[in-house]
Amino acid sequence: MLKPKQMSRLLIAASRDQMAPVITELYRHNLFHIEEYVDQGQEGYEGFKIGTPLPGASEKSTDLIKIRAITSAISVRGDDIDSVKVCPQAELKSKIERQLPALERDVEDLTVRRSKLDTRLKDYEQKIAEITPFASIPADLDLYHGYKRFAVFAGYVPHEITLTVPSEMHFSKGKEKNFLVVIVPSEQRGEVERTLQEAGFQSVSIPDESGSPQSRIDHYSGQIAALSKEIAEINLKLEEVRQQHTEFLVACEEFLKSEVEQTEAPLRFATTKQTFVAEGWVPTDKVEDVSNSLVQATGGKIYVTVLPTDLEHDNVPVEYNNPSFAQPTQLLMDVYSRPKYTEIDPTLMVSIVFPIFFGLILGDVGYGLILLVMAFALRKFVKGEEGRMLLTVLRNASISSIFFGLVFSEFLGFAIPGLNPLIYSRHLMTAHGGHGPNIPELMVLSIWIGILQISAGRILGMVNHARQDHGEHRTKAVLANFGWLAVMWGILIAIWSIAVLPIMPNLTTLPTVAGINPGLIVGGVLVIAGVIFIARDSVLEVVEIPTIISHVLSYARIVAVGLSSVAIAMVVNFMAITMFIEPQLKSISIVGVVIILVGVMIFLLGHTLNLALGILGGGLHSIRLHYVEFFTKFYKGGGQKYNPFGMKRRFTED
Amino acid sequence: MAAEAVVAAVDIGTSVEAIKASQMGMKALGAGIAVGLTGIGTGVAEMGIGSAAVGAVAEDKDMFGLALLFTVIPETIVIFGLVVALLLLFV
Repeated sequence: MLKPKQMSRLLIAASRDQMAPVITELYRHNLFHIEEYVDQGQEGYEGFKIGTPLPGASEKSTDLIKIRAITSAISVRGDDIDSVKVCPQAELKSKIERQLPALERDVEDLTVRRSKLDTRLKDYEQKIAEITPFASIPADLDLYHGYKRFAVFAGYVPHEITLTVPSEMHFSKGKEKNFLVVIVPSEQRGEVERTLQEAGFQSVSIPDESGSPQSRIDHYSGQIAALSKEIAEINLKLEEVRQQHTEFLVACEEFLKSEVEQTEAPLRFATTKQTFVAEGWVPTDKVEDVSNSLVQATGGKIYVTVLPTDLEHDNVPVEYNNPSFAQPTQLLMDVYSRPKYTEIDPTLMVSIVFPIFFGLILGDVGYGLILLVMAFALRKFVKGEEGRMLLTVLRNASISSIFFGLVFSEFLGFAIPGLNPLIYSRHLMTAHGGHGPNIPELMVLSIWIGILQISAGRILGMVNHARQDHGEHRTKAVLANFGWLAVMWGILIAIWSIAVLPIMPNLTTLPTVAGINPGLIVGGVLVIAGVIFIARDSVLEVVEIPTIISHVLSYARIVAVGLSSVAIAMVVNFMAITMFIEPQLKSISIVGVVIILVGVMIFLLGHTLNLALGILGGGLHSIRLHYVEFFTKFYKGGGQKYNPFGMKRRFTED
Repeated sequence: MAAEAVVAAVDIGTSVEAIKASQMGMKALGAGIAVGLTGIGTGVAEMGIGSAAVGAVAEDKDMFGLALLFTVIPETIVIFGLVVALLLLFV
């Protein structure tokens, strides 16, 4: 919690003939993050070379490429499929040998044919597009070409033109553009060209066809219809292949991918003629497991040891270490950046505070319930791991939304009957049983949230600097963070001693010292001390001091965005019910029923729109408050992802 | 200013309610201007950042978090406008 998983650097050395069992064993554990060996003559690695793949690597990669060609042709993706049947590897191996070549041939045949038909279809469409303008002129297409003494112009003009030379001209007025065909003697060609150019003439190519334009268009349309039918047939066949072989294909892909990864692993090791050395990272609590099973697999012919970790120079891979309810939030962390190994991992805090912010913004029982149902219903359609994580985040957020909906007493913008808002009301319109909003209190409440979160961020910043930095810089950096805190609280105390604000301490009544409020003095001292601490670390940072105010005030968005969504909901309700439905219910007529239906439509559409805005607003603004206002105080990120050698098998087994 | 308004109002014989209503109207106008202008400001500011951010993300998807962060920084401006508007209308 609050710290990434502890890692140990493991060094494995053995003779080359043990390479295959070692790789298999490491792959099975799926724990060893390989530190790739780069041939740059590091100390202690003189005479080592990058290894060569195990035998059979190229055949397996060829097979994998074949499988991938098939799966992409019939659009099968492992992520979209629930694993229903697990296939033993031995059975797969024989199946691959027997079935794969034939299947590949079939699919390739079909796709090649399809792409040929596609090209022809595009060709015909192009031809139709070329002929279409000529359809407005009552002349056969043969009449446009084959002349020796005449020049033919065809194209679009903005307006009708007159030519001074003897010519045959046809002008057809169109909706947007006018089409013009001119035939002139070859001698006058240059002159006509000039006239046309001045008139803004855009020439089109003359189709090399014969017969009337309409009949040609009909001919090509017929061809296109036939081709489309053929393509549809091929698609149907591919769909059949897909239905029949999906499970086999995804299992194959997984199996071959694992095989290829294993056979190519030596490319990441350091080797000599007789031995190989692999370095990598393993979670500290698993070191024993891994080394024991390696010793067992090789019959003791291996040397495994834990190397000391050098936190400053080693790029330690980072694996989150969070309780299960905080794990989906890791997705939001990865979007920003993975924490460094030495840094505090704020995932847990985000996983708690993010839903609270979301709820405060979109606090509405109705919307919360809809989102909750959505989060569960979408689970059926979303297969990928990341999508699932996002849905869990949405679920937590919607539960919080329901909770705050009860607190604020809101249901689709209505007040919940008989339930007064527990803290402060957000009801904007009193006509609907609301109580009038407590805007100042809500505003100050959100400012308080900001003050607390930013203070927490600064304290975490102090911890991070104390952990990561050394020497004089460490003291300065820690004190600078303290300085930021001091300036913020100094300004606050000064404000409290000047003005009376709701739900904030009132210092204006303090007995004055030498005519000045002591709060003002304390605040001033804190601000000055803070500025000095900040300037000692970096003078340029002093310019940033106004951001203290803007960052704290930025938390007012929690109320502002929330209120705007309440306002939209209430306006929708007012329009739908008070304006459309209620007046008609007094005396029902046919027109009245129609108007009531319009009212219902407004109600549904309005709330759908508001819900979409609410998800965007609630989600984006909550996460933004974390990214911009909270993380910038302490969090750097940029850690390397822990990517162990191995895979989670879904469709195959040993 | 208020005194002038009162004098003017008394001059043409309007009631106190009318003055109140016109003050409320002024407040509403002010709130509208606050949100509208800050919205334009945010839009202009996000325009450049947004297009650059999309470009950066197109080159490297890992930039998404940082790009989003940069893009939403000017959003604070419109939030300030919204806060001012709410304070005008309800405080």
